[in-house]
Amino acid sequence: MTLSVELLPESTLRDVIGLLVRLIESAGALIIFIGAVWAFVQFVAAGVRGRGKVAGFNRIRLSLGRFLVLGLEFQLAGDVLRTAVAPSFAEIGQLAAIAAIRTALNYFLGREIAQERAEIERGETAPPAQGGKGLPT
Amino acid sequence: MNGWLQMAAVLITALGLVAAAAAWRLTHTVRGGLAVLLDFLTAAGLIRLAGEPSWGSVMLAAAVIALRKLLGASLHVSRPNQTTRGGARPVSAGR
Repeated sequence: MTLSVELLPESTLRDVIGLLVRLIESAGALIIFIGAVWAFVQFVAAGVRGRGKVAGFNRIRLSLGRFLVLGLEFQLAGDVLRTAVAPSFAEIGQLAAIAAIRTALNYFLGREIAQERAEIERGETAPPAQGGKGLPT
Repeated sequence: MNGWLQMAAVLITALGLVAAAAAWRLTHTVRGGLAVLLDFLTAAGLIRLAGEPSWGSVMLAAAVIALRKLLGASLHVSRPNQTTRGGARPVSAGR
């Protein structure tokens, strides 16, 4: 015999977590969407202005990458929350696949952002003349 | 919610095509335009993964991301004059 006091019924827990997951994933999707629209506006504006602004191009890509990473962080938070209630193995498998994709992408995006930032900083600090050993300002 | 997410993903894909054209005009290299297009396709894939994704959309997102990495790696390899003076190599700043 087990004595169980149901302070929080499982169905309520599922509902609450489902709502939270939706909210968090929506926030992540919204961040990604806003980042994409912002980057689109910037690319089109830069494209209309003309060529010769490659540094600006890299900066826009860097910002888009940051938006993607931020949105991914939210979506990963939703995945973590979803593990609290995973009723079937099929759902756990799907969750694992999605979380693996998001984690891998988060890692690669982080690396790409670091590389892009390093390239931009190198472009800013290295003057065209000889002996360019200036430190980042 | 899935309907909105699908619509947003399609919209981002369309925006990506235009942005890729703008990036190509800006840099005058196919590499620049392709990189921007892949960024937008990744964003669309991520939005598709929100909500209650099907196995199909999971596989599609994985394929886009794998393609993105493959093309990105090949573009990185083919990038001209990668190493600069002073041994300035790309920073491998893993997180």
